[in-house]
Amino acid sequence: MIELRGVTYCYPGASAPALEDVSVHIIRGKVYGIVGANKAGKSTLCYALTGFIPHFFHGKLDGQLWLAGRDVRIQSLASLAGLTGLVFQNPFNQISGARFSVREEIAFGLENLGVPTREMHSRVEQALITTGLRELADRSPYQLSGGQQQRLAIASMLVMQPDALVLDEPTSQLDPIGTRDVFDVLHRLAEERDTAVVIATHKLEWLATCADEVLLLHQGQVLHKGPPREVLSRRDAAELGVRSTSYTLAARALSEQVKELRSPLPVTLEQALDALR
Amino acid sequence: MRRPTLFLPRESSLHALHPLTKLVGSGLFLLLALMLPEYWQVVLLFILGLLPLAYLGKVARPFLRTTTGLILPFAMSLFLIQGFFAPGEILLVSLGPFALKAEGVMLAVRFTTRLLVWLGTTTLLMLITRPDHMMQALMERGLPRQVAYIVLTSLQIIPRFQQQAQIILDAQRSRGLETEGGLFHRIRMLVPLVTPLILGSILELEERAIALEARAFSRAGARTTYTQLEDSVTQRTLRYGLLAVLVLTAAVWIAARLAG
Repeated sequence: MIELRGVTYCYPGASAPALEDVSVHIIRGKVYGIVGANKAGKSTLCYALTGFIPHFFHGKLDGQLWLAGRDVRIQSLASLAGLTGLVFQNPFNQISGARFSVREEIAFGLENLGVPTREMHSRVEQALITTGLRELADRSPYQLSGGQQQRLAIASMLVMQPDALVLDEPTSQLDPIGTRDVFDVLHRLAEERDTAVVIATHKLEWLATCADEVLLLHQGQVLHKGPPREVLSRRDAAELGVRSTSYTLAARALSEQVKELRSPLPVTLEQALDALR
Repeated sequence: MRRPTLFLPRESSLHALHPLTKLVGSGLFLLLALMLPEYWQVVLLFILGLLPLAYLGKVARPFLRTTTGLILPFAMSLFLIQGFFAPGEILLVSLGPFALKAEGVMLAVRFTTRLLVWLGTTTLLMLITRPDHMMQALMERGLPRQVAYIVLTSLQIIPRFQQQAQIILDAQRSRGLETEGGLFHRIRMLVPLVTPLILGSILELEERAIALEARAFSRAGARTTYTQLEDSVTQRTLRYGLLAVLVLTAAVWIAARLAG
Protein backbone atom coordinates (compact mmCIF):
# COMPACT_ATOMS: atom_id res chain seq x y z
CA MET A 1 0.00 0.00 0.00
CA ILE A 2 2.68 2.53 1.04
CA GLU A 3 6.36 1.92 0.56
CA LEU A 4 9.31 4.11 1.45
CA ARG A 5 12.70 2.89 0.25
CA GLY A 6 15.84 4.52 1.61
CA VAL A 7 14.11 7.84 2.17
CA THR A 8 16.26 10.69 3.46
CA TYR A 9 14.57 14.04 3.81
CA CYS A 10 15.79 17.47 4.85
CA TYR A 11 13.39 20.38 5.51
CA PRO A 12 14.22 23.57 3.57
CA GLY A 13 16.95 25.48 5.38
CA ALA A 14 17.67 22.65 7.85
CA SER A 15 21.22 21.35 8.20
CA ALA A 16 20.37 17.86 9.50
CA PRO A 17 17.93 15.44 7.87
CA ALA A 18 14.59 14.90 9.60
CA LEU A 19 14.43 11.38 8.12
CA GLU A 20 17.48 9.33 7.32
CA ASP A 21 17.52 6.20 5.19
CA VAL A 22 14.00 5.19 6.19
CA SER A 23 12.50 2.10 4.62
CA VAL A 24 8.95 1.23 5.59
CA HIS A 25 6.38 -1.04 4.04
CA ILE A 26 2.77 -0.43 5.10
CA ILE A 27 0.18 -2.99 4.05
CA ARG A 28 -3.61 -2.89 4.18
CA GLY A 29 -5.54 -4.23 7.14
CA LYS A 30 -2.74 -3.70 9.65
CA VAL A 31 -2.20 -1.17 12.42
CA TYR A 32 1.24 0.40 12.71
CA GLY A 33 2.58 2.47 15.57
CA ILE A 34 5.26 5.11 15.32
CA VAL A 35 7.01 5.88 18.58
CA GLY A 36 9.99 7.98 19.52
CA ALA A 37 11.10 11.03 21.46
CA ASN A 38 9.98 14.53 20.49
CA LYS A 39 11.76 15.63 17.29
CA ALA A 40 12.58 12.00 16.43
CA GLY A 41 10.86 12.47 13.06
CA LYS A 42 7.41 11.03 13.79
CA SER A 43 5.43 13.86 12.20
CA THR A 44 7.83 14.04 9.27
CA LEU A 45 7.33 10.32 8.64
CA CYS A 46 3.55 10.87 8.75
CA TYR A 47 3.89 13.60 6.10
CA ALA A 48 6.08 11.33 3.96
CA LEU A 49 3.55 8.50 4.19
CA THR A 50 0.78 10.79 2.93
CA GLY A 51 2.66 12.55 0.13
CA PHE A 52 2.88 15.94 1.86
CA ILE A 53 6.60 15.31 1.62
CA PRO A 54 7.74 16.16 -1.04
CA HIS A 55 4.67 18.01 -2.41
CA PHE A 56 3.81 20.40 0.41
CA PHE A 57 7.08 20.66 2.34
CA HIS A 58 9.60 20.95 -0.43
CA GLY A 59 13.15 20.46 0.94
CA LYS A 60 15.59 17.81 -0.25
CA LEU A 61 14.36 14.26 -0.72
CA ASP A 62 16.30 11.13 -1.66
CA GLY A 63 14.91 7.64 -1.97
CA GLN A 64 11.64 6.27 -3.31
CA LEU A 65 8.07 6.78 -2.14
CA TRP A 66 5.26 4.61 -3.48
CA LEU A 67 1.59 5.05 -2.66
CA ALA A 68 -0.95 2.52 -3.94
CA GLY A 69 1.47 1.57 -6.70
CA ARG A 70 2.08 5.17 -7.76
CA ASP A 71 5.39 6.95 -7.58
CA VAL A 72 4.55 9.82 -5.21
CA ARG A 73 7.29 12.05 -6.61
CA ILE A 74 5.68 12.30 -10.03
CA GLN A 75 2.06 12.55 -8.85
CA SER A 76 0.39 15.77 -7.75
CA LEU A 77 -0.87 16.08 -4.19
CA ALA A 78 -4.41 16.60 -5.50
CA SER A 79 -4.27 13.31 -7.40
CA LEU A 80 -3.27 11.48 -4.20
CA ALA A 81 -6.18 12.94 -2.21
CA GLY A 82 -8.53 10.27 -0.98
CA LEU A 83 -5.92 7.51 -1.17
CA THR A 84 -4.51 8.37 2.23
CA GLY A 85 -5.96 10.36 5.08
CA LEU A 86 -4.01 12.47 7.55
CA VAL A 87 -5.17 13.48 11.01
CA PHE A 88 -2.88 15.58 13.12
CA GLN A 89 -2.60 16.76 16.68
CA ASN A 90 -4.42 20.09 16.68
CA PRO A 91 -8.03 19.37 15.74
CA PHE A 92 -9.02 23.01 15.56
CA ASN A 93 -6.86 23.64 12.50
CA GLN A 94 -8.39 20.67 10.73
CA ILE A 95 -11.87 22.18 10.72
CA SER A 96 -12.50 23.55 7.24
CA GLY A 97 -14.19 26.70 8.57
CA ALA A 98 -16.52 26.63 5.58
CA ARG A 99 -19.26 24.47 7.05
CA PHE A 100 -21.69 25.32 9.80
CA SER A 101 -22.55 21.93 11.27
CA VAL A 102 -20.64 18.80 12.27
CA ARG A 103 -22.57 16.78 9.69
CA GLU A 104 -21.65 19.14 6.84
CA GLU A 105 -18.08 19.41 8.05
CA ILE A 106 -17.67 15.64 7.80
CA ALA A 107 -19.10 15.78 4.27
CA PHE A 108 -16.64 18.47 3.12
CA GLY A 109 -14.01 16.03 1.82
CA LEU A 110 -16.65 13.91 0.08
CA GLU A 111 -17.99 16.99 -1.72
CA ASN A 112 -14.49 17.68 -3.01
CA LEU A 113 -14.15 14.07 -4.16
CA GLY A 114 -17.44 14.33 -6.03
CA VAL A 115 -19.17 11.51 -4.12
CA PRO A 116 -22.90 11.31 -5.05
CA THR A 117 -25.16 13.04 -2.52
CA ARG A 118 -27.11 9.96 -1.47
CA GLU A 119 -23.95 7.96 -0.83
CA MET A 120 -22.48 10.97 0.97
CA HIS A 121 -25.43 11.04 3.39
CA SER A 122 -25.09 7.37 4.32
CA ARG A 123 -21.30 7.62 4.72
CA VAL A 124 -21.63 10.70 6.93
CA GLU A 125 -24.23 8.97 9.12
CA GLN A 126 -21.92 5.96 9.47
CA ALA A 127 -18.96 8.18 10.40
CA LEU A 128 -21.10 10.00 12.98
CA ILE A 129 -22.06 6.70 14.59
CA THR A 130 -18.54 5.28 14.46
CA THR A 131 -17.02 8.32 16.18
CA GLY A 132 -19.88 8.85 18.62
CA LEU A 133 -20.77 12.27 17.26
CA ARG A 134 -24.38 11.56 16.29
CA GLU A 135 -25.83 13.63 19.14
CA LEU A 136 -23.69 16.60 18.10
CA ALA A 137 -24.33 16.33 14.36
CA ASP A 138 -26.19 19.63 14.03
CA ARG A 139 -23.89 21.70 16.23
CA SER A 140 -21.30 24.10 14.88
CA PRO A 141 -17.86 22.44 14.75
CA TYR A 142 -16.57 25.41 16.72
CA GLN A 143 -18.92 24.66 19.62
CA LEU A 144 -17.31 21.28 20.30
CA SER A 145 -14.76 20.56 23.01
CA GLY A 146 -11.16 19.73 22.07
CA GLY A 147 -11.81 16.00 22.38
CA GLN A 148 -14.99 16.19 20.31
CA GLN A 149 -13.15 18.21 17.65
CA GLN A 150 -10.49 15.50 17.60
CA ARG A 151 -13.16 12.88 16.95
CA LEU A 152 -14.58 15.17 14.24
CA ALA A 153 -11.15 15.35 12.58
CA ILE A 154 -11.00 11.55 12.56
CA ALA A 155 -14.58 11.26 11.28
CA SER A 156 -13.80 13.74 8.48
CA MET A 157 -10.96 11.51 7.32
CA LEU A 158 -12.43 8.06 7.75
CA VAL A 159 -15.58 9.10 5.87
CA MET A 160 -13.35 9.47 2.81
CA GLN A 161 -12.54 5.76 3.15
CA PRO A 162 -8.86 6.11 2.37
CA ASP A 163 -6.76 3.01 1.75
CA ALA A 164 -4.41 4.21 4.49
CA LEU A 165 -5.14 6.46 7.43
CA VAL A 166 -2.19 8.19 9.08
CA LEU A 167 -2.75 9.82 12.47
CA ASP A 168 -0.22 12.00 14.28
CA GLU A 169 -1.09 12.15 18.00
CA PRO A 170 -4.80 11.76 17.30
CA THR A 171 -5.84 11.41 20.93
CA SER A 172 -3.75 14.16 22.53
CA GLN A 173 -6.87 16.00 23.75
CA LEU A 174 -8.93 12.96 24.70
CA ASP A 175 -9.56 11.52 28.14
CA PRO A 176 -8.82 7.79 28.73
CA ILE A 177 -12.32 6.71 27.67
CA GLY A 178 -12.20 8.85 24.55
CA THR A 179 -8.74 7.49 23.78
CA ARG A 180 -9.91 3.90 24.17
CA ASP A 181 -12.87 4.56 21.86
CA VAL A 182 -10.63 6.06 19.17
CA PHE A 183 -8.17 3.16 19.30
CA ASP A 184 -11.12 0.75 19.11
CA VAL A 185 -12.43 2.55 16.02
CA LEU A 186 -9.02 2.47 14.36
CA HIS A 187 -8.55 -1.19 15.15
CA ARG A 188 -11.97 -2.01 13.67
CA LEU A 189 -11.17 0.11 10.61
CA ALA A 190 -8.14 -2.06 9.90
CA GLU A 191 -9.97 -5.31 10.58
CA GLU A 192 -13.30 -4.65 8.91
CA ARG A 193 -12.42 -2.21 6.13
CA ASP A 194 -8.95 -3.50 5.38
CA THR A 195 -7.54 0.00 5.89
CA ALA A 196 -3.87 0.46 6.74
CA VAL A 197 -3.75 2.50 9.95
CA VAL A 198 -0.59 4.30 11.08
CA ILE A 199 -0.61 6.00 14.48
CA ALA A 200 2.16 8.19 15.89
CA THR A 201 1.51 8.47 19.60
CA HIS A 202 2.95 8.65 23.09
CA LYS A 203 -0.03 6.69 24.49
CA LEU A 204 1.79 3.38 24.41
CA GLU A 205 -0.59 1.39 26.61
CA TRP A 206 -3.29 1.81 23.97
CA LEU A 207 -0.98 1.44 21.02
CA ALA A 208 0.38 -1.82 22.41
CA THR A 209 -3.11 -3.32 22.51
CA CYS A 210 -3.96 -2.71 18.88
CA ALA A 211 -0.78 -2.32 16.82
CA ASP A 212 0.51 -5.15 14.64
CA GLU A 213 3.88 -3.52 14.21
CA VAL A 214 5.72 -0.68 15.92
CA LEU A 215 8.45 1.49 14.40
CA LEU A 216 10.82 3.11 16.86
CA LEU A 217 12.28 6.32 15.48
CA HIS A 218 15.39 7.98 16.80
CA GLN A 219 16.97 11.05 15.23
CA GLY A 220 15.14 10.44 11.97
CA GLN A 221 16.09 6.77 11.68
CA VAL A 222 13.95 3.68 12.17
CA LEU A 223 16.08 1.96 14.80
CA HIS A 224 13.73 -0.90 15.57
CA LYS A 225 10.60 -2.37 14.07
CA GLY A 226 8.56 -5.38 14.98
CA PRO A 227 5.63 -6.52 17.13
CA PRO A 228 4.78 -4.09 19.99
CA ARG A 229 5.99 -6.51 22.66
CA GLU A 230 9.36 -6.83 21.02
CA VAL A 231 9.93 -3.11 20.42
CA LEU A 232 8.28 -1.48 23.42
CA SER A 233 9.77 -3.78 26.04
CA ARG A 234 13.36 -3.09 24.99
CA ARG A 235 15.68 -2.12 27.81
CA ASP A 236 17.20 0.71 25.73
CA ALA A 237 13.78 2.23 24.95
CA ALA A 238 14.12 4.85 27.69
CA GLU A 239 17.52 5.95 26.33
CA LEU A 240 15.83 6.42 22.95
CA GLY A 241 13.18 8.65 24.51
CA VAL A 242 10.40 6.06 24.61
CA ARG A 243 8.94 5.39 28.00
CA SER A 244 7.88 1.88 28.95
CA THR A 245 4.23 1.02 29.50
CA SER A 246 3.17 0.75 33.14
CA TYR A 247 2.82 -3.04 32.66
CA THR A 248 6.41 -3.31 31.40
CA LEU A 249 7.66 -1.26 34.36
CA ALA A 250 5.73 -3.39 36.85
CA ALA A 251 6.92 -6.60 35.19
CA ARG A 252 10.51 -5.36 35.13
CA ALA A 253 10.32 -4.68 38.88
CA LEU A 254 8.89 -8.16 39.49
CA SER A 255 11.13 -9.98 37.03
CA GLU A 256 13.82 -10.70 39.63
CA GLN A 257 11.28 -12.83 41.51
CA VAL A 258 9.10 -14.10 38.63
CA LYS A 259 11.26 -15.54 35.90
CA GLU A 260 8.26 -16.00 33.50
CA LEU A 261 8.12 -12.23 33.23
CA ARG A 262 11.67 -11.84 32.00
CA SER A 263 11.79 -12.03 28.24
CA PRO A 264 10.16 -10.44 26.42
CA LEU A 265 8.57 -8.24 29.07
CA PRO A 266 4.80 -7.72 28.70
CA VAL A 267 3.59 -4.41 27.27
CA THR A 268 -0.16 -4.85 27.81
CA LEU A 269 -2.32 -5.84 30.77
CA GLU A 270 -3.36 -9.03 28.99
CA GLN A 271 0.24 -10.08 28.43
CA ALA A 272 1.16 -9.28 32.05
CA LEU A 273 -1.77 -11.33 33.35
CA ASP A 274 -0.91 -14.22 31.00
CA ALA A 275 2.67 -14.25 32.22
CA LEU A 276 1.57 -14.26 35.86
CA ARG A 277 -1.02 -17.06 35.44
CA MET B 1 -17.89 32.30 21.25
CA ARG B 2 -20.00 34.93 19.52
CA ARG B 3 -22.36 33.61 16.84
CA PRO B 4 -20.52 33.78 13.53
CA THR B 5 -23.50 34.89 11.45
CA LEU B 6 -26.79 36.76 11.83
CA PHE B 7 -28.78 33.81 10.47
CA LEU B 8 -31.62 32.61 12.71
CA PRO B 9 -33.08 29.19 11.91
CA ARG B 10 -36.90 29.40 11.77
CA GLU B 11 -39.68 27.41 10.14
CA SER B 12 -40.93 30.06 7.76
CA SER B 13 -41.90 30.32 4.12
CA LEU B 14 -39.31 33.04 3.70
CA HIS B 15 -36.54 30.82 5.03
CA ALA B 16 -37.60 28.08 2.63
CA LEU B 17 -37.06 30.25 -0.45
CA HIS B 18 -34.05 29.61 -2.66
CA PRO B 19 -31.18 31.93 -1.65
CA LEU B 20 -31.06 33.50 -5.10
CA THR B 21 -34.79 34.35 -4.93
CA LYS B 22 -34.08 36.17 -1.68
CA LEU B 23 -31.05 37.86 -3.22
CA VAL B 24 -33.02 39.14 -6.22
CA GLY B 25 -35.87 40.30 -3.94
CA SER B 26 -33.35 42.17 -1.83
CA GLY B 27 -31.93 43.78 -4.95
CA LEU B 28 -35.38 45.12 -5.74
CA PHE B 29 -35.69 46.72 -2.30
CA LEU B 30 -32.24 48.29 -2.61
CA LEU B 31 -33.12 49.74 -5.99
CA LEU B 32 -36.54 51.02 -4.92
CA ALA B 33 -34.99 52.81 -1.95
CA LEU B 34 -32.65 54.54 -4.37
CA MET B 35 -35.36 55.41 -6.87
CA LEU B 36 -38.20 56.68 -4.69
CA PRO B 37 -37.99 60.48 -4.73
CA GLU B 38 -39.67 61.28 -1.41
CA TYR B 39 -38.35 60.28 1.98
CA TRP B 40 -41.83 59.29 3.22
CA GLN B 41 -42.15 56.86 0.34
CA VAL B 42 -38.91 55.23 1.44
CA VAL B 43 -40.21 55.06 5.03
CA LEU B 44 -43.39 53.43 3.73
CA LEU B 45 -41.26 50.91 1.84
CA PHE B 46 -39.66 49.97 5.15
CA ILE B 47 -42.92 49.85 7.12
CA LEU B 48 -45.12 48.18 4.50
CA GLY B 49 -42.45 46.14 2.75
CA LEU B 50 -39.59 45.03 4.96
CA LEU B 51 -41.37 44.90 8.30
CA PRO B 52 -44.18 42.52 7.19
CA LEU B 53 -41.54 40.34 5.53
CA ALA B 54 -39.60 40.23 8.79
CA TYR B 55 -42.80 39.12 10.55
CA LEU B 56 -43.36 36.51 7.88
CA GLY B 57 -39.82 35.25 8.45
CA LYS B 58 -40.44 35.19 12.25
CA VAL B 59 -37.46 37.46 12.80
CA ALA B 60 -39.22 40.82 13.37
CA ARG B 61 -37.69 41.54 16.77
CA PRO B 62 -34.03 40.78 15.90
CA PHE B 63 -34.60 42.55 12.59
CA LEU B 64 -35.71 45.76 14.32
CA ARG B 65 -33.03 45.49 17.00
CA THR B 66 -30.19 44.98 14.52
CA THR B 67 -31.41 47.57 12.04
CA THR B 68 -31.88 50.19 14.78
CA GLY B 69 -28.44 49.43 16.20
CA LEU B 70 -26.90 49.87 12.77
CA ILE B 71 -28.81 52.98 11.66
CA LEU B 72 -28.49 55.07 14.84
CA PRO B 73 -24.77 55.96 14.59
CA PHE B 74 -25.15 56.72 10.87
CA ALA B 75 -28.27 58.82 11.48
CA MET B 76 -26.61 60.85 14.22
CA SER B 77 -23.51 61.63 12.22
CA LEU B 78 -25.56 62.41 9.10
CA PHE B 79 -27.76 64.85 11.02
CA LEU B 80 -24.80 66.59 12.59
CA ILE B 81 -22.71 66.81 9.42
CA GLN B 82 -25.49 67.61 6.94
CA GLY B 83 -27.53 69.72 9.36
CA PHE B 84 -24.67 72.00 10.30
CA PHE B 85 -22.43 71.96 7.26
CA ALA B 86 -24.62 71.52 4.18
CA PRO B 87 -25.38 74.82 2.43
CA GLY B 88 -28.85 76.25 3.10
CA GLU B 89 -30.92 79.33 3.81
CA ILE B 90 -33.47 78.33 6.41
CA LEU B 91 -31.93 78.62 9.84
CA LEU B 92 -33.43 76.34 12.49
CA VAL B 93 -31.08 76.70 15.49
CA SER B 94 -27.93 78.72 16.01
CA LEU B 95 -25.22 77.39 18.36
CA GLY B 96 -22.39 79.92 18.48
CA PRO B 97 -20.54 79.71 15.16
CA PHE B 98 -22.65 76.72 14.05
CA ALA B 99 -26.05 76.98 12.40
CA LEU B 100 -28.50 74.11 11.90
CA LYS B 101 -30.23 74.55 8.55
CA ALA B 102 -33.50 73.01 7.34
CA GLU B 103 -32.04 72.04 3.94
CA GLY B 104 -29.24 70.08 5.65
CA VAL B 105 -31.70 68.33 7.97
CA MET B 106 -33.85 67.37 4.97
CA LEU B 107 -30.83 65.99 3.18
CA ALA B 108 -29.94 63.96 6.29
CA VAL B 109 -33.51 62.62 6.45
CA ARG B 110 -33.29 61.51 2.81
CA PHE B 111 -29.95 59.77 3.32
CA THR B 112 -31.03 58.18 6.59
CA THR B 113 -34.27 56.74 5.27
CA ARG B 114 -32.50 55.26 2.25
CA LEU B 115 -29.83 53.85 4.46
CA LEU B 116 -32.53 52.44 6.74
CA VAL B 117 -33.98 50.42 3.86
CA TRP B 118 -30.56 49.34 2.59
CA LEU B 119 -29.36 48.20 6.02
CA GLY B 120 -32.77 46.68 6.79
CA THR B 121 -32.79 44.72 3.52
CA THR B 122 -29.28 43.39 4.09
CA THR B 123 -30.06 42.52 7.71
CA LEU B 124 -33.24 40.70 6.75
CA LEU B 125 -31.45 38.78 4.01
CA MET B 126 -28.78 37.67 6.48
CA LEU B 127 -31.34 36.76 9.17
CA ILE B 128 -33.25 34.43 6.86
CA THR B 129 -30.44 32.98 4.71
CA ARG B 130 -27.67 30.62 5.73
CA PRO B 131 -24.45 32.08 4.36
CA ASP B 132 -23.20 28.68 3.21
CA HIS B 133 -26.43 28.11 1.29
CA MET B 134 -26.05 31.51 -0.35
CA MET B 135 -22.47 30.67 -1.33
CA GLN B 136 -23.56 27.27 -2.61
CA ALA B 137 -26.26 28.89 -4.75
CA LEU B 138 -23.73 31.38 -6.12
CA MET B 139 -21.16 28.63 -6.76
CA GLU B 140 -23.79 26.73 -8.73
CA ARG B 141 -24.00 29.90 -10.86
CA GLY B 142 -20.24 30.08 -11.37
CA LEU B 143 -18.75 31.79 -8.32
CA PRO B 144 -15.22 30.36 -7.83
CA ARG B 145 -15.22 28.01 -4.84
CA GLN B 146 -12.05 29.64 -3.49
CA VAL B 147 -13.97 32.93 -3.17
CA ALA B 148 -16.86 31.18 -1.42
CA TYR B 149 -14.39 29.44 0.88
CA ILE B 150 -12.74 32.73 1.87
CA VAL B 151 -16.11 34.38 2.60
CA LEU B 152 -17.36 31.47 4.70
CA THR B 153 -14.16 30.91 6.66
CA SER B 154 -13.87 34.64 7.41
CA LEU B 155 -17.32 34.52 8.99
CA GLN B 156 -16.29 31.74 11.33
CA ILE B 157 -12.68 32.67 11.91
CA ILE B 158 -13.20 36.31 12.93
CA PRO B 159 -15.10 35.36 16.14
CA ARG B 160 -12.36 32.78 16.83
CA PHE B 161 -9.76 35.52 16.32
CA GLN B 162 -11.59 37.67 18.89
CA GLN B 163 -11.70 34.74 21.29
CA GLN B 164 -7.96 34.15 20.84
CA ALA B 165 -7.27 37.85 21.44
CA GLN B 166 -9.22 37.67 24.71
CA ILE B 167 -7.27 34.56 25.81
CA ILE B 168 -3.95 36.30 25.07
CA LEU B 169 -5.13 39.46 26.84
CA ASP B 170 -6.12 37.47 29.93
CA ALA B 171 -2.82 35.57 29.84
CA GLN B 172 -0.83 38.83 29.61
CA ARG B 173 -2.90 40.38 32.42
CA SER B 174 -2.31 37.36 34.64
CA ARG B 175 1.41 37.96 34.17
CA GLY B 176 0.99 41.48 35.49
CA LEU B 177 0.70 43.40 32.23
CA GLU B 178 -1.14 46.68 32.86
CA THR B 179 -3.77 47.00 30.14
CA GLU B 180 -5.77 49.91 31.61
CA GLY B 181 -4.72 53.53 31.36
CA GLY B 182 -4.40 56.39 28.92
CA LEU B 183 -4.62 56.18 25.14
CA PHE B 184 -0.86 56.01 24.51
CA HIS B 185 -0.41 53.39 27.20
CA ARG B 186 -3.16 51.27 25.64
CA ILE B 187 -1.64 51.62 22.18
CA ARG B 188 1.72 50.49 23.57
CA MET B 189 0.03 47.51 25.21
CA LEU B 190 -1.22 46.34 21.81
CA VAL B 191 2.25 44.98 20.98
CA PRO B 192 2.22 42.06 23.48
CA LEU B 193 -1.36 41.34 22.40
CA VAL B 194 -1.06 41.56 18.64
CA THR B 195 2.35 39.85 18.26
CA PRO B 196 1.32 36.41 19.58
CA LEU B 197 -2.04 36.72 17.83
CA ILE B 198 -0.50 37.32 14.40
CA LEU B 199 2.34 34.83 14.87
CA GLY B 200 -0.08 32.18 16.09
CA SER B 201 -2.32 32.73 13.09
CA ILE B 202 0.59 32.45 10.65
CA LEU B 203 1.65 29.17 12.25
CA GLU B 204 -1.91 27.89 12.04
CA LEU B 205 -2.00 28.64 8.31
CA GLU B 206 0.34 25.79 7.40
CA GLU B 207 -1.74 23.21 9.27
CA ARG B 208 -4.94 24.59 7.77
CA ALA B 209 -3.49 24.26 4.27
CA ILE B 210 -2.43 20.65 4.95
CA ALA B 211 -5.86 19.82 6.35
CA LEU B 212 -7.55 21.25 3.24
CA GLU B 213 -5.26 19.33 0.90
CA ALA B 214 -5.90 16.12 2.85
CA ARG B 215 -9.58 16.67 2.14
CA ALA B 216 -9.06 17.02 -1.60
CA PHE B 217 -9.73 20.75 -1.71
CA SER B 218 -7.51 21.36 -4.72
CA ARG B 219 -8.59 18.25 -6.58
CA ALA B 220 -9.65 18.94 -10.16
CA GLY B 221 -12.97 17.63 -11.42
CA ALA B 222 -16.65 17.79 -10.63
CA ARG B 223 -17.85 18.33 -7.09
CA THR B 224 -21.06 17.38 -5.38
CA THR B 225 -22.91 18.99 -2.49
CA TYR B 226 -24.18 17.49 0.74
CA THR B 227 -27.11 19.91 0.88
CA GLN B 228 -29.52 20.17 -2.01
CA LEU B 229 -31.04 23.64 -2.23
CA GLU B 230 -34.82 23.54 -2.64
CA ASP B 231 -36.00 25.14 -5.84
CA SER B 232 -39.13 24.87 -7.98
CA VAL B 233 -40.32 25.92 -11.41
CA THR B 234 -42.68 28.49 -9.84
CA GLN B 235 -39.90 29.95 -7.79
CA ARG B 236 -37.48 30.00 -10.68
CA THR B 237 -40.08 31.76 -12.83
CA LEU B 238 -40.73 34.27 -10.03
CA ARG B 239 -36.99 34.82 -9.63
CA TYR B 240 -36.35 35.42 -13.31
CA GLY B 241 -39.42 37.66 -13.45
CA LEU B 242 -38.16 39.70 -10.51
CA LEU B 243 -34.71 39.87 -12.07
CA ALA B 244 -36.19 41.14 -15.33
CA VAL B 245 -38.19 43.78 -13.43
CA LEU B 246 -35.06 44.75 -11.51
CA VAL B 247 -32.89 45.12 -14.59
CA LEU B 248 -35.56 46.97 -16.59
CA THR B 249 -36.40 49.35 -13.75
CA ALA B 250 -32.73 50.06 -13.19
CA ALA B 251 -32.17 50.66 -16.90
CA VAL B 252 -35.19 53.00 -17.21
CA TRP B 253 -34.19 54.89 -14.07
CA ILE B 254 -30.59 55.34 -15.20
CA ALA B 255 -31.73 56.39 -18.69
CA ALA B 256 -34.17 58.90 -17.21
CA ARG B 257 -31.49 60.38 -14.99
CA LEU B 258 -29.02 60.62 -17.85
CA ALA B 259 -31.64 62.31 -20.03
CA GLY B 260 -32.87 64.68 -17.37
